[in-house]
Amino acid sequence: MRRRVAITGMGLVTCLGTGVDENWNQLTGGHSGIRPITLFDPKRCQTRIAGEVPSEFDPMQYVLLKELRRLDRHQQIGLVAACQAVEASGFVFPPADPYRYAVIIGSGIGGLSTIEAGYEVLREKGPKRMPPMMIPMAVINLLPGLIAMRFGLKGPNFGVVNACASSASAIGEAYRLIASGSADMAITGGAEAVVGEFAISAFNALRALSTRNDEPAKASRPFDRDRDGFVLAEGAGMLTLESLEHAKNRGANIHAEIVGYGATSDAYHVVMPDPNGAGACQAMRLAIQDAGIEPERVEYINAHGTSTDLNDKTETLAIKRSFGKFAYKLSISSTKSMTGHALGAAGAIEAIFTALTLERGIIPGTLNLDSPDPECDLNYTPKVMVKRSVEYAMSNSFAFGGQNVSLLFRRT
Amino acid sequence: MDDIEKKIVDLVAEVLVDVNKENIRLDSKIVEDLGAESLDIYDMVALLEDEFGMEISDEEVEKIRTVQDVADFIKASQKKS
Repeated sequence: MRRRVAITGMGLVTCLGTGVDENWNQLTGGHSGIRPITLFDPKRCQTRIAGEVPSEFDPMQYVLLKELRRLDRHQQIGLVAACQAVEASGFVFPPADPYRYAVIIGSGIGGLSTIEAGYEVLREKGPKRMPPMMIPMAVINLLPGLIAMRFGLKGPNFGVVNACASSASAIGEAYRLIASGSADMAITGGAEAVVGEFAISAFNALRALSTRNDEPAKASRPFDRDRDGFVLAEGAGMLTLESLEHAKNRGANIHAEIVGYGATSDAYHVVMPDPNGAGACQAMRLAIQDAGIEPERVEYINAHGTSTDLNDKTETLAIKRSFGKFAYKLSISSTKSMTGHALGAAGAIEAIFTALTLERGIIPGTLNLDSPDPECDLNYTPKVMVKRSVEYAMSNSFAFGGQNVSLLFRRT
Repeated sequence: MDDIEKKIVDLVAEVLVDVNKENIRLDSKIVEDLGAESLDIYDMVALLEDEFGMEISDEEVEKIRTVQDVADFIKASQKKS
């Protein structure tokens, strides 16, 4: 017997701000979080803009100063978002049976910035000076470990590494653990913070990033004819999921339910999506089948919508293949137009936005969609948000490497 | 406390999450009194090496018990160089 899975708590730290409501206000107000880079001097890089978590970000509310220096920035941001989600859930940890509580967290490149800084120390000062916290700050499974330590959770615990689909995969796996009865509750989501010379220049070498340095707020323009790549961003999104029974027993506030998870691979190319969109299409179909509904019940898709030439075309094609003539009735938007692309954290950030769309009846717009690419001819909710009451909504996440993840949510 | 000793207390306090700086005395035993674990020791050694521009071998670390021992070691090696 499959159990229903409810979202009962959410936490967000993005370039739009800290906290779910602050993010939602910025998002529905149509504000971009993309600005000139301040975290390092980008003068040698082709791209000099990013979505940085604003300097007002204050982890001290949740993390002791002395702990902070032992955490990579993605761990700091992730821990704060997890604390927000737990606080919002109203659940008091540690639980009576801690082995029923899971922590599944995604990140694409984890402590890359720490590795980058550590390598400088190695070259300049030698191996003896390597900071002892290098490995714990670098590896991706430490954040789920830290969250478990903070709240005393001893159930299944792992990091999920799946590039830009990491946290969507994490949420999907957590959903399955609860649905199957292996866990009663999970903290899940993702965190990413790699805005540094290393990552910016590496993505520039792939020709993946926008170089619209003079107009940062206009740089992320999914589905627009003049898009020129994605904008790298930092961020974390964390959710508490629980079995409906567990949530109801304690009178928890339920934001939405997760009802479907589809995961596939393109088996096609290291960085390009399959131009036929077959894998992406199948991920969406699987999520819909998982929910046991007809495709036309889905009314909104929070698109992967990266603002790269290939993603936006291929995703459009895949949506058309999945939904047929109903594709044109869907509301679609890419919130990356405002948040930029937080890689492994993007799926969780967008899962939260999708849940908020269900809960609040508002579809965020796709900022900067001035003149749509002729190959992108669906309803992407250009520029401004619209009010639409939606029962089922989907969030897509696709990865370099060919991984496709679709999550399906239902209004409670 | 002299400047070196004060600096050492600062670094020890920076590493040890649960210890108030006011409770760190020169005769405090770093492991027994202040509760440092192995990772804390490695972290302190790295900070001390960076601050005082010197190397502290694992054998030397083994001999150190108190904050005073750290200060004595650093002063002695500063005299040598």
